[in-house]
Amino acid sequence: MFVGAIILGCQKENTEEVLDPYVLRRPDYFPEITYPISGNQISKSGFELGKKLFNDPILSLDNSIACSNCHVKAVAFTDPQHNPSVGIFEREGSRNSPMIANMAFQPEFLWDGGITHLDFVPIFAIENEKEMAETAESVVRKLNASPIYPTLFKKTFPSLDTITAPYMLKALSQYMLLLVSDQSKYDQFLRGEANLSSEETAGLTLFKAKCASCHSGALFTNYAFLDNGLDVTHKDIGRALISARAEDTGKFKVPSLRNILLTAPYMHDGRFKTINEAIDHYRFHVKDTPNLDTRLKTNGKPGISLTDEEVENLVSFLKTLTDYKFISNPIF
Amino acid sequence: MNKILIMSLLALIITSCGKDEVIEKGAGSIDIEFDNVAVINNIQNQLSLVTPGSTNYTYTNGIGQPFNLNLLRYYISGIKLEGPNGASFTDEIKVDVAASKGIYLIDESKLAANIITLENVPAGEYNKISFTVGVDTSGVKEGASGGVLDPATCKMFWNWNSGYIAVKIEGQSPVSNGGVGGTETLNSSSVNGIAYHVGGWRNVEGSAFVNNNKSLSFNFDTNAKVEKGLEPHVHMILDVISLFKGQNIIDFTGNHNVHKPIDGKPLADNIPNAFSFDHLHQ
Repeated sequence: MFVGAIILGCQKENTEEVLDPYVLRRPDYFPEITYPISGNQISKSGFELGKKLFNDPILSLDNSIACSNCHVKAVAFTDPQHNPSVGIFEREGSRNSPMIANMAFQPEFLWDGGITHLDFVPIFAIENEKEMAETAESVVRKLNASPIYPTLFKKTFPSLDTITAPYMLKALSQYMLLLVSDQSKYDQFLRGEANLSSEETAGLTLFKAKCASCHSGALFTNYAFLDNGLDVTHKDIGRALISARAEDTGKFKVPSLRNILLTAPYMHDGRFKTINEAIDHYRFHVKDTPNLDTRLKTNGKPGISLTDEEVENLVSFLKTLTDYKFISNPIF
Repeated sequence: MNKILIMSLLALIITSCGKDEVIEKGAGSIDIEFDNVAVINNIQNQLSLVTPGSTNYTYTNGIGQPFNLNLLRYYISGIKLEGPNGASFTDEIKVDVAASKGIYLIDESKLAANIITLENVPAGEYNKISFTVGVDTSGVKEGASGGVLDPATCKMFWNWNSGYIAVKIEGQSPVSNGGVGGTETLNSSSVNGIAYHVGGWRNVEGSAFVNNNKSLSFNFDTNAKVEKGLEPHVHMILDVISLFKGQNIIDFTGNHNVHKPIDGKPLADNIPNAFSFDHLHQ
């Protein structure tokens, strides 16, 4: 059994060396790919064009801010500096930049799930007054007038005459689709390539018992919109903005916990600066809000009971979700 | 083995060639024109748009409130024709990064856009048309698409609750208390503005998600004969007055600034009775 795992591991490593990095691959323990890939075949040049666009402030009104300003690779494409994130003209946004990783497997996007297709995510940021405050129409004009972009687009999409928004959005999707984070220590553990320490194992056991009913599956989210007892009154109504249902007020998408130790601050508005503050919320500060998710109540009382030692083990486990290969991948 | 493969390939090619020939021989075109009108005292009046901000009110809603319109635009998709003798034609929807086939944007300010020419319609007689007002779900699920769905240029795209507006109407009513800003023809100084951006494409069981797309069917009063050399012309009517006085009363003092699926439902539910078949000529 053990020998088998080693052999398999070796074989895998050998094949990995020759794997084309510009192909979207689903680890077999991940959920299905949600993106309709047949309509947007990923190529090296398309990925590189998307990456260039992602890092280019040309997407914003005054050419000052790029996607990568608030989605920084070193911290799994989140914003380490601000809570919430700051957009154009120093405008403070209302929400915390979510991680851009494993987008190919997500059914809905943004904290409120208002977007159901990855292609439409960048156009939201481009046109949002607090983010890039630009129009997609104007970005397209700037791209067509640029000395470099028409050639780059033509290389990826040979049948294209002029650059239009759908081509730009498909290229950005090609880049984001390949940002797959599946090389953490936990992934190695799942594949039988590494063992967890006793603290990490204890943390995993705790996690399964106390967290995994919402942070479920290989991506650590059930994609539900839930009230986790942060507030009684809401500055940001969250999911209700999209669903127009009063009972969805203050509900936000359960976020993935992959790379969680890199992606501070925490919560939809980035109110907690450290992982311990976030965990302490669940231990001590969950408010008994009308829409509070019932899983956050124990014997009728809000909150999850965890001892200090259990918290240490839990954090040890959460550290295994950090994917250093992902944030240091030179291609990304 | 190879022989069998080649044979079957040949057979396939031969059959498909045969099929193409049949269609080419016996296919024609048909025009579907959408005439936007205002029916007043049972008389159809050609719709006339006004300059934004105009206080010249020609129309009234179901409760006598005057209004005028600056803009009228809507999507038609998924057209299907059927005939009494089994003739059938489905205008296939195929959207991709370059184009959006089978989806049409009717725009009162661009009259040429109001005639849809369907080509390669099998020869035969047709007396029924079905279509969806709005973008069929299949047009949203492919993501960013070109042509009339280009989210940068169509001016019918919601970026925050992603999907397409089915019907977009903007204008003025003297009884409106305004507050309609940031639209194509209205801004914060438009004191009497009315805006109906009616969208919403998904029904989610047990939730407030509303699909405001409407699938409609109409019978013709005579058969439209399609064959090579003939191009029948069908006139469909949209009566804008009926949009504001159908089963739901649209009150310009209250529900006059619509930008969410749920808010657009009353007007959307008036859509089926606002469309009608008018006439066709051969």
